[in-house]
Amino acid sequence: MTTPPTIVLVEDDPALRTLTTRALQEHGYMVRPAASAPEMWLAMEAGPVDLVLLDIMLPGTDGIELCRKLRQQSNVPIIFVSARGSETDRVVGLELGADDYLAKPFGTRELTARIRAVLRRVDAPRDTRDREQGLISFDGWTVNLPRRELRSPSGAVVDLTGAEFDLLTSLIDHAGRVIARERLIELSRTRMGDSTDRSVDVLVSRLRRKLSVDDQPPPIVTVRGVGYMFNATVERT
Amino acid sequence: MTHFVRPSLGLIGRVVAILLFATLVEFAMSTVLYERASQFSVRDDEGRRLAEHLVIARRLVADRPPAERAAMARAVSTAHYAMAWQADAPPPSDQSLSEMRSKVLAWEPVLQSAALRMRLEPAVTGSFVTGGAALPDGSWIHFRTAEAIDSLDQSRSRILIALGIAAAVMALGGGLIGRTLRPMRLLASAADRFGMGKAEPLAEEGPAEVRRVITAFNRMQARIQQLITDRTQALAAVGHDIRTPLARLRLRAESIRSEPVRDEILDDVAEMDAMVGSLLAFLGGEDDPEKPALADLAVLCATLADDAVDHGRAVDYVGPHHLEHVFRQLGMKRALSNLVENGLHHGTEVTIALAKTADAVVVTIEDNGPGIPPEQLESVLEPFVRLDTARRRDTQGLGLGLAIVVRAVALEKGTLSLVNRAEGGLRAEIRLPATA
Repeated sequence: MTTPPTIVLVEDDPALRTLTTRALQEHGYMVRPAASAPEMWLAMEAGPVDLVLLDIMLPGTDGIELCRKLRQQSNVPIIFVSARGSETDRVVGLELGADDYLAKPFGTRELTARIRAVLRRVDAPRDTRDREQGLISFDGWTVNLPRRELRSPSGAVVDLTGAEFDLLTSLIDHAGRVIARERLIELSRTRMGDSTDRSVDVLVSRLRRKLSVDDQPPPIVTVRGVGYMFNATVERT
Repeated sequence: MTHFVRPSLGLIGRVVAILLFATLVEFAMSTVLYERASQFSVRDDEGRRLAEHLVIARRLVADRPPAERAAMARAVSTAHYAMAWQADAPPPSDQSLSEMRSKVLAWEPVLQSAALRMRLEPAVTGSFVTGGAALPDGSWIHFRTAEAIDSLDQSRSRILIALGIAAAVMALGGGLIGRTLRPMRLLASAADRFGMGKAEPLAEEGPAEVRRVITAFNRMQARIQQLITDRTQALAAVGHDIRTPLARLRLRAESIRSEPVRDEILDDVAEMDAMVGSLLAFLGGEDDPEKPALADLAVLCATLADDAVDHGRAVDYVGPHHLEHVFRQLGMKRALSNLVENGLHHGTEVTIALAKTADAVVVTIEDNGPGIPPEQLESVLEPFVRLDTARRRDTQGLGLGLAIVVRAVALEKGTLSLVNRAEGGLRAEIRLPATA
């Protein structure tokens, strides 16, 4: 059994800090709470840190600026929390190098699901970790990982749900290899904070429809009885 | 809506009209005075010479026997006056020369008894003075000046020149006034632009009055800008301040053992969160201006339907797999999602349909609910208006849903129409111009 992951929680509201700390501890995480930017830097030095949960509207410091400084100094995964729910905040944060974004108010289930997903991505082999910096292209389509955005060959933004995006990146990570249904279910489950139960097959068929191009076979191939395979040449930049 | 617009010449038009009026008055006055003055001086001089010549000619002709009178009259003709003796009288005097006639009579009163007649005879080359004086025996000596006096042509060209000068002055004046009023036009377009983007202070130039107006406008613009900024910041703060306790409440609720109570509290939290979200979306529009970009509207509609299906609702998407269009994706998604939620609130089944026509992209959202009473079809589009009466308040949110749709569609220069379907239910149609 490995040591439980350590999370630095940066949140200015005392009660919410306590509640979040308790929720995370109940799920087996070690938590080092911090109320402000200086406290965060102290908490970072107190020992190894696996993840930072950062409220971007801290008093005294611009959370986005803090996120940038943190990213300059360390490679630690960052999930940032915002009450604004503004799309620019989300995109700016993700482009600054945050790994995920969580809008207030959140539930324990959603919170832990996001943390697990981010930690899992970090644990993945080195080459998949590197992809966090860039763009992936296949058959003219482009996946922008920091922005979690898919663009068609003509450059149009194609709306994907979080689960669909994760499914697509999981398939791309295994491009050219068959990936078992059970593994895909497991991979996409980690992320879904909502309570609906979508089967992977439904997700795959929706993704196929979104990736369809008139005269070309879709890049996702069903391997009967086993799972799926992403059948396109993938380029990472 | 009726506007009562008084037809207006515009400031430049008015000033030019005033200039025109002033110039005309000036022109008329000076013409009259000048003409008068010159007429007097010319006719004084002319009158004396004519009087002397006529008196002498009359005496010489009268001294001759009638047989020689015609020859005598010809003999006293000069380069200036043509004289002739005739038995009948010349035409009577006309009014235009009465002044000159009285001068002549004043100089040579003897002509008074000779029944002097004078009239102006216009000809192609000018006007000539003609007339005659009676001899004691009742015959007449006629005269005619050889030179035109007071050429009408001359005065006509003088009028034309004066008019030309007046026109040039007006054009120049109009141009100068236009230049002077340029800051006013800039001010008008700045006021039109205000609120459409970044407000920039206008350069203070032009006449003193205009400069004052510009200064006042700049100050007003700055004040409004400040108000908007303050409001946006206040809203962001409210969003933060409400969502933080909501987050606490949500985490606290999770420890409630009784499942029904817990779920109800979580529903309340979700509703409050949705209200804050819609309020921020409605009021905070300027805070986060989304740029239109190429996106796949068909996929967006399909995703909305999929999401609803995943939440156990009956929402169908009918349309192409792909339809790329330039629009504000987040704003439009929120708008369409509001319409779908509306449909699901009042009905049980919703269909999202997408089609492209020659000049528009049309999204229709139909439900099988009761529709909207015709008299309320328009008022539901206004903010904070709910269809449910206060007693039956089961609608979530603040009544901003459709107002947000209206705004999002207006941003795309599209149109939104709500109609009750013949087969029951409401049909919302969004038309976006094809070339956005």
